[in-house]
Parts: sequence; C-alpha cells; structure tokens
Amino acid sequence: MRLSVNGASYHITAPAHETLLETLRERLQLTGTKLVCGRGECGACTVLLDGKSVYACLTLSAACDGRDITTIEGIKGDDALHPMQAAFIEHDALQCGFCTPGQILAAIALVRQNPDPTEDDVRRGMSGNLCRCGAYPKIIRAVMAAAQAGKAPDA
Amino acid sequence: MPKRFVTTKVEIEGREETKIVELPARNPDPWGEDADLHVVGQRVVRMDALEKVTGEARYTADVHLQGMLFAAILRAPVPRGRVTSLDLAPALALDGVRAGISIADVPDVKIDGVRLFDQTIFYANQPLAAICADSLETAQRALEAITLEIAREPHAVTAEQALADNAPAVRPSGNTHKGSPRVSSRGDVEAGIAEADAVITREYRTPTALHTALEPHGAVAEWSGGRLTIYESTQGIFMTRREVAKAFGLPLTDVRVIKNYMGGGFGAKNGAPHSTYIAAALAKITGRPVSCILDREGEQTDAGNRCATIQRVTIGAKRDGTLTAISVDVTISLGIGGWLSSPARIYHELYQCANVRSAETFVYTNTGAMASFRAPGNVEGSFGLERAMDTLARELNLDPLELRRRNYATRDQDRDRVYSDKRLDECYRLGAERFGWTQARSRTRAHDTGARLRRGVGMSSIVWSAGGGPPAYATVRINRDGTIEVLSGAQDLGTGARTVLAQIAAEVLGAKISDVRTVLGDTERLPFASNSWGSITTASVGPAVRVAAEEARDALFDAAAEMLGTEPTDLESRDSEIHAKSNDKCILFSEVCNKLGDVMISGHGSRGPNPEGTAISAFGAQFAEVEVDGETGQVRVLRIVSAHDSGRIINPTLAESQLEGGIIQGLGYALFEERVMDDRLGITLNSTMHDYKIPMIGDIPPIDAFFVDGADVIANHTGAKGLAEPPIIGVAGAIGNAVADALGADVLEIPLTPRRVRAL
Repeated sequence: MRLSVNGASYHITAPAHETLLETLRERLQLTGTKLVCGRGECGACTVLLDGKSVYACLTLSAACDGRDITTIEGIKGDDALHPMQAAFIEHDALQCGFCTPGQILAAIALVRQNPDPTEDDVRRGMSGNLCRCGAYPKIIRAVMAAAQAGKAPDA
Repeated sequence: MPKRFVTTKVEIEGREETKIVELPARNPDPWGEDADLHVVGQRVVRMDALEKVTGEARYTADVHLQGMLFAAILRAPVPRGRVTSLDLAPALALDGVRAGISIADVPDVKIDGVRLFDQTIFYANQPLAAICADSLETAQRALEAITLEIAREPHAVTAEQALADNAPAVRPSGNTHKGSPRVSSRGDVEAGIAEADAVITREYRTPTALHTALEPHGAVAEWSGGRLTIYESTQGIFMTRREVAKAFGLPLTDVRVIKNYMGGGFGAKNGAPHSTYIAAALAKITGRPVSCILDREGEQTDAGNRCATIQRVTIGAKRDGTLTAISVDVTISLGIGGWLSSPARIYHELYQCANVRSAETFVYTNTGAMASFRAPGNVEGSFGLERAMDTLARELNLDPLELRRRNYATRDQDRDRVYSDKRLDECYRLGAERFGWTQARSRTRAHDTGARLRRGVGMSSIVWSAGGGPPAYATVRINRDGTIEVLSGAQDLGTGARTVLAQIAAEVLGAKISDVRTVLGDTERLPFASNSWGSITTASVGPAVRVAAEEARDALFDAAAEMLGTEPTDLESRDSEIHAKSNDKCILFSEVCNKLGDVMISGHGSRGPNPEGTAISAFGAQFAEVEVDGETGQVRVLRIVSAHDSGRIINPTLAESQLEGGIIQGLGYALFEERVMDDRLGITLNSTMHDYKIPMIGDIPPIDAFFVDGADVIANHTGAKGLAEPPIIGVAGAIGNAVADALGADVLEIPLTPRRVRAL
C-alpha cells in the first residue's frame, strides 16, 4: 500500500490487521502518536486522515491506502509552530504531555470543522481525548484562543 | 570547625524518617514575602512544552534502540492458587520469539512481598513468566502458546472476605499487617464524648481508585560491558538504580537509570516494578535491548491503587461547635502488599480537638498491591472527616464553615509542634468570598425540596505535610557562551520542576531565564535528588539550586571584578549582564565566560535540614456547588473554588495547572472512579479506560483555584512549600457535602454514581 504521511510517500507491505498506530510508531518511528488504551477509549493516538481526526489504534493501515495522514510531527510549519501548538504552550494546556499530540490534532480537526466554536462545542469536540493530569480547563482556553485568533488550522 | 553532618527528621507523605544529612556550605537568608525577586514568581513558560507539543519528547515507550526486542508478560488468570505446570517451550518454538523467562531465570526479588514470578498465585494478573520477541505482537501471541496449568484455591478480594472467620490465608503471615490495629490517641475520648452536647456516629466508605497514568509503567534495558542502562518511566531514578543493582548483584556504578519525560506518575512509579526486572533479565539473556511496557490491563490491575477504606467515625461537640472527641476505626484494603498510609492522621491534625483516638486495621486481599496515590491516606480520611463535620454542623444548626473556623488548629496537635506558617484562615476567608459561600448557602436553603434538579453547596479543608527536606543536591554550571545548566537528579513528572528550578537559578544569578536549561533524570550524570513524591521536589531541590547558583554567581562575579577593575561586592546582575555600581561598566555573562575560555564556572549546592520541632504543611479550603438530578441520580458539579497556602509560589501558571489537575482527579474520585471486582471470580471487571471512568473534558466545571499570598521563611530559604498533592485532598468531601446539602440526605459512600445517589 502507499501511505502519504506528513507529505512524504511511503510504500509499505504490512499484514492486513496492522493498525495505523502500529505502522506509524513501529515502522515509521513516528512516536509522537501515543499508545495508551489501544481500543479507542482515550484519544492519545488521534491523527488526521484526509483532514479528519481518527483514532490510529482503530484504523487499519490497509484502509489508508492512497490517503493523506497527518501526525503531530507534520503540523509544524518550516519556521513556526502551528497556531494550535503555540496556543497549547501559551496557555499551559499540558502537564506530562503524553496526551498532548492527540489533543492538538483533535483540536485542529475541531476548529477546521467549526472555526468559531463555543466553549460547549470545544467540550463536545474534544470529548474523545482523555487527560489524566487534568489540563482540561487550559485545553479549553487554548483551543478557544487559537480559534478566536482566527488562526484556524491549516494542517 | 563547624559540624558538617547532623541528624534530622525528614517527612514524606506522612512518614517520618530520621536521617543524617550534610549541612550546606552556605545558608542564605530566606526570601521573605517582600523580597525583590524578578524571575521567581513570574509566569515563565513551561520549559519542556515545546518538545511536548511537537511530539518530539521521547517517553520510555518511545525509546527504540537498535536491535531492540519487545517483552510481554504472562499473568495469573485467577486470584489465588498454585502453578502446577508452566512450559515455555511451545512459545519459544515460534518464529520471532527470542527468549522466555520464569522464576528460575530471574533474581530473587520481592515486589510488594511477592517474589517475581512466584509459583504461588496471590492475586489475579500476578506475573508468572515473560517472553520477548522481534515485535510486541509476536510476543503477545507467544503468550497464548505457553502451557500453563494451575490449581485454583479460594480467595479473598475484599476486606470483609479477608476478615471473615473462615477466610483463606491471603499471605502466609496472615490477613492483616502485623502492625494492625495501629492505635493512636491523645486525651480521653470517652470523657470527651460524655461532655458533648451532640454526638454523631457514621460509617463511611471510599473505593479502590486506580492511578490510570496515560503512560503505563515500563522500562527499556540494555547491557553493555557488563553494565546495565535502563530507561524508565519513574518518579525515582536513584531508588530504581539501587533496587536493580541489588537484585542483579551489581555495584551502583554499573547501573544507569534515565528518565527524561514521563506520562504521569501520581505516586505509582516509585522504585523498580516487575517490568524493569523483566526487561533487564531478558536483555541479559538475549544480549539485545529489551522494551517491557505494561499493557493497559496490566497497568490498571498490577501497578498500584489507592486503598479502599471503611471508616467508622464518632465525633462529639459542644453546642457552640467546640469539638470534644473524635474517634475513628479504619479498615484499609492494601491488596497483596504496600505500605501503611494513614487515613486516620487527618482526623488527628486538621481540627482542634483534645481527645482523639484512631485504630487502623490494614488488610491484605488477593488483589494488586496499593501504591502511593496523590496524598495517600489523607484523601481517604478527608472524605470521612469532612462528611462527619458537616453532619455535625447540621445537627448543631451551624454553618459548616463556621464550625470549622471554631475548631481552628493553631498547632500540629498530632505531633505536638508548631507550624512553620499557617494561612488556612486566609484560605477560608478568600475562598468563601470568591465562592459567595454565605449567599450560595442561603440560596440552596431556600430551594424547593420537591424539585427534580436540586442544588447544594459544600466545603472542606486541607492539610498536608509539604516541607520537603534533605538530602538533595544540585550543580549549576555556566558555559563559555554564558548559558547556564542546572543539574539535579530529580524528576519532572509533568509538574514543572524543570522550569521552577531554572527560575530559582536565574533569580540568584541575575540571568535571563531563556539562558537557563535544567537537566534532570540521569543517575550517571547528575547529583542525587530523591524521588519526586510527597510534593517535595520544589522545597527539597529548590534550596539546593539556590545555594549552587550562589556559589556559581560568586565565582562569576570574582572573574568579572577582575575584568572590570573593581570588587565583586560592587557588582550586580540582571538579564545575564553584570553591572559595576562604582564605575558604571557593564559586561555580559557571555563576555566574561568567553574571556575565561574553558575555565569552569560552577557551583554546588545541597539542601539543609528542616527546623526542629516544626511542622511544615500546606493548607487549603475547597468549595463546591453541585446540581443533582433526583430522577437519574446524576451529579453535575457546577463550580469549584479552591484556595491554597503553599508558601511562595515560584511559577503561578504551573502551580495553578497542578491545582486544577489535583481538583479534577478529586472530582473523579468523588463521582466516578472505583475499581470493581467480581468477588466470586476475584478479578477486576473494569480494567479498561472505558469501564474505569476518569474525568473527561465535559465533566469539568469552572474551577477557580488560587494561592493566598505568602512566603514560608521558616520552612526553607526559598519560602516555597509543596503543592502537588493538596488540591486533591478535600474535593470528595466538598462534593459529598454539597450532594448531601442538595438532597438533604446523608452521603456515606463514594463515588457518587447515579445508582448510589438514587438510593439516597
């Protein structure tokens, strides 16, 4: 199969049951995408598939043939952070940082779909991403700020 | 010559140890409340945020070494019994499988009292063997090929089962810890009850809660030249090194433990767990690096938990609210092992009372062992004590806050000593004001008790030892370009320790914070600091960094004075520039160091002892408003106000993040979090993140968490105390009290799931 990951093309031969999370972490060494629950319960493995957020642990790589995948490693511009990354830093929307890549990708997908979200929209849109450190109040602030600044994502 | 080593007491999570410690080379004057500080106290951006938002931060599970193998652990399917047959050969015959180990292949090491790979089964999911293979998937599949036969025996997975007359023996030594009951008392409780105008007796229950750190326990081990390097997700690199070196019979120089980033600890990651020994043993046999990372089920069932408790409380007071007696009998479920954290201690300390008695019975059960979990003991005890205080307030027709104020403890009554500083009264005042306590209470008083949606308010108080202490060391090094490294073998769990320690060094040196980098988490390269537990890192390592930075600054000023033709005392520095007051000459750090070339400017600092006979504690007051749906039993927390006294706050932004995080974990403990066992099968029913519910973004109410002003100059010369654990302590009590207020019902048990609330 051919996967386009962060703009680079990869030809991959993998078993039919291999998940996108395994492909990214183990074959491509893109370890920013995290394994936490491995069954679609926590959102730590969130990536963008053709611009929409998906759980990489519940996505088969074979189903991604010919499609565009964006991981946390692929959202930064050449010179600057993605505005959502910058907002997460500015608002201290992270502590241990383990859920952060998934949170940021979910937030980017959310704001792309809804460029002017209310706080409730953010809560709903981000409800698939768990954070055990409890950075939620600041995640809400960061996502709202990034959206309101009109710095809507362009991943 | 002055004495160099002294004997002192150091307290961690309520445990007090006597230690001989080295006195620091210097003892700077404390930064008082009005100290003129420029970097300390600033909202400096979290230092490792960049690598965390870019995905570049490499956690233990992300470490991938050349030729690395992956391990998977075979676990016991039953809670008690014996292995009658275990054959790894069928698994070893599979393609891609490189090695397998069972009890004969590992050092004789005990974890929570159970030998690694013990053939006697003490709890479900106890490790029995491990396999490593070219891929994790191959290793996991190979587990299924192992032939395992077991003889099942009766088990006890709850305290009630373990204490029953004909209970099976959970451990050979018996079903309670030999120190049980641990009795502690002062005054005369019976006399206190006799003189009370109101006495209430209740039984409270708290659940087994699971840490659920997103990054599980795990290690990557690699041997080279007989030396072992371990990458570990740990709160204690030096403790891990000591335990691993002992197990493998190695000198400390032959074990290096590295922890750069970790995905949460919350108390469960102190010292080497099973996975570390397994990775090291498999790496030794195969001659290749081995990664052993727990899967989620392993993490939820065999990596620590907060003990379930049953608290039988009797509390008496005069009509004016003056407490006359507190008595509590606590049953604590340890699981198969662990240490004796104390739910009773907060009963002895939080409120003024002359007559207090407690008896704690620590029960072993056939379940995974407990581990410290953010303010272990106090969180559990706080729920019972604060519910009892509220019930008493209702009985006496007193405002619950007023009842607490009337029993304000000015001394640490438990250990009969003064507090270094205590601003709980200020927390009450500001917390109540920002919450609008009086107005909110009269509002909920007036509500229609027949309505479906009912609101209530509740509050609670916090006390937690937070002084830190010795030993802790730091080195501050200035490079030839003027940049600065702060080196200490502490750990940053996501707390912000890196940033806070850099701020202290920058303050002392008069350096730009952007010039300072903190390096933590490597036993081979860094001076000793203890585990990052018990809210101690800032108060322990911070003063050592201050001393080290002073020493480095003095050397830098000596060199600069030579260059500027003046005396060191004539110099001051700000933003990495040194200014001579007498001749108005300036020189940048980088210029001084560049001129010096490779002459090394550095300083070394240590943490001195705490003041004798003094309790150093953090305090707080928490207020919650809830809305309860009487039909569904759903509890919605509408808002939380949390006022804290932790002395000087080095970085308010990071500190507030920790407060919010602790409060949110407390909210989970109050409303959702509960390990559910099948008592008959003796296994955990909710070991997934779907079934064990932690707070989600939609559960989070507006949280107003803040610090009262202050600097604790008695505690240590930075004025800072710990703050990571306090914010979780009173949340379940405050929410429980608010639910009781909403329904006019007694709340005796958490979590307040809809089923329990509907039964009220």
